[in-house]
Amino acid sequence: MSDRALQDDVIRALADAPYRKSAAWRTRGLADPDRVERFARFLARHFYHERVVHFFKYSRALARVTGRRPEAVLTRPGFEALVPSIVLGSRETAKAVAQLVVTHVGDAGAAIRYLGDLLQYEAAMMVVEAGPRIWREDPESGGEGAGSGEWSAPETVEGTVLLELAYDLPVVLPELLRPWSEVPQAPARSTKLLVARSPRGRVAVARSTDAIAALLGLADGRKTLAELAHGAGLEVRELEQTLHGLVELGAVRFSTGS
Amino acid sequence: MAALMIGAFYNPHLGAELVRADGIDHLAMADPPAAGDPHWPAIRARYTLLLHDYLGQLSEPLDDRSIERARTLAELYRTPWVAEHFQCLHTVDGTYNLNYVFPPLYSEDFLERFVRNANALRARLDQPLVMENIPGFFDVRASQLPEPVWLRRFFDATQTGFLLDLPHVWLEAHYRGLKPERWLAEFPLDRVVELHVAGVEEDKDLAGPWIAPAEPSDEMLGFLAHAVTRCPQAKAVTFDAFSPSLTAEALFRSVERIRETL
Repeated sequence: MSDRALQDDVIRALADAPYRKSAAWRTRGLADPDRVERFARFLARHFYHERVVHFFKYSRALARVTGRRPEAVLTRPGFEALVPSIVLGSRETAKAVAQLVVTHVGDAGAAIRYLGDLLQYEAAMMVVEAGPRIWREDPESGGEGAGSGEWSAPETVEGTVLLELAYDLPVVLPELLRPWSEVPQAPARSTKLLVARSPRGRVAVARSTDAIAALLGLADGRKTLAELAHGAGLEVRELEQTLHGLVELGAVRFSTGS
Repeated sequence: MAALMIGAFYNPHLGAELVRADGIDHLAMADPPAAGDPHWPAIRARYTLLLHDYLGQLSEPLDDRSIERARTLAELYRTPWVAEHFQCLHTVDGTYNLNYVFPPLYSEDFLERFVRNANALRARLDQPLVMENIPGFFDVRASQLPEPVWLRRFFDATQTGFLLDLPHVWLEAHYRGLKPERWLAEFPLDRVVELHVAGVEEDKDLAGPWIAPAEPSDEMLGFLAHAVTRCPQAKAVTFDAFSPSLTAEALFRSVERIRETL
């Protein structure tokens, strides 16, 4: 095994609690198991503290009304119970930690009508951000973005989320981060939001439409552009523009033709 | 030794106070300025800025995109040097990422990788490259060289500068049961360009002290005073705290105490 592979093994042991318990790791005897366990717990709390503070910043801004800071979950028994199963950066762990926050803040009983939508939105951001990412560009690839090849068979990227909300959150989000005395209100208006992630881990949100929702449901990597246009009720030119935007967001990827 | 610059990290939530502050010679930039930061133009106009962003891990070559980003930030900041860390924190395939500084194996293979990739990065930068030491909480048995020896050989092979993080050395000494001064003496101090100093705090998970965005203790400042006398090429000392929880009082008091110490 190369030194680089050994380093990867140590990184995995710190990131992946079930692996840390496995015979495959323990029999290697690469490091003091007690120290590794303590450092892994430290890393887990740090990893999710950063994400909870970042992705739940709007409900954090509401903490003086709800009385609940989102990051408080990281020192509560629910998080301790998760520790033996935590895999840093995995969608499953992101879902579990986000759910702890949703329950903790949501159960505050605060009279904020859009709080449920807000927590759903913030949790979706945190879960979409999770998953493996590209750290270095492959010199052979075209990098991120729509590319310039002939498109064929678009496919919705795994993990992309469509939210259907009862309140128009994008209106109120900037207000929550500015100084306020009365809780800013969100218009009660049915709102669809698309949350997606680029291969490098940049999370983006965009307003969605019925056509985009249909397109994302249909884009399975097998249907042609004509089939997608027909299914989503779009003209082909309109479809191409929409797909360009979805690729930039990270919601759709293409294989490019020769 | 020339007069040392004494500074801190740019903490955007303290932008208004930093624009008006006295007694701070430079600011290290851990993140690019936010698009809407109202204090950024005045900060850039007023301070010497040090590029201290995450550029990438030098166990692998930086790609063109990362190098271009580093060059763009270096130009924006007019930085006198560019800093990176001796770290390897994500797996090659991108599946696992610690999201926290973590040292590489101190082995011949990793030394060769870091030398090659640092030299490649250095060749693409218009400013000198400095590299910061990273603390280990545990030793990995596959390491082949003591960290200070590995660092010495790296600096000899790359002619890069050393960004000596003193709390990192202090913590390693603590967990090895050594006197900090004794452990520090092993490091290639003649290569030091910049020093970092900050506080440490007890961490429940680690059951001991660890890096924290806290004021340096009197003991840590004494360690700084000792270290500076052994770093003849040092140009700057930076209070290494970057956190939304850091108060203006803590930042200014720390810089003032560092200045008094030196």
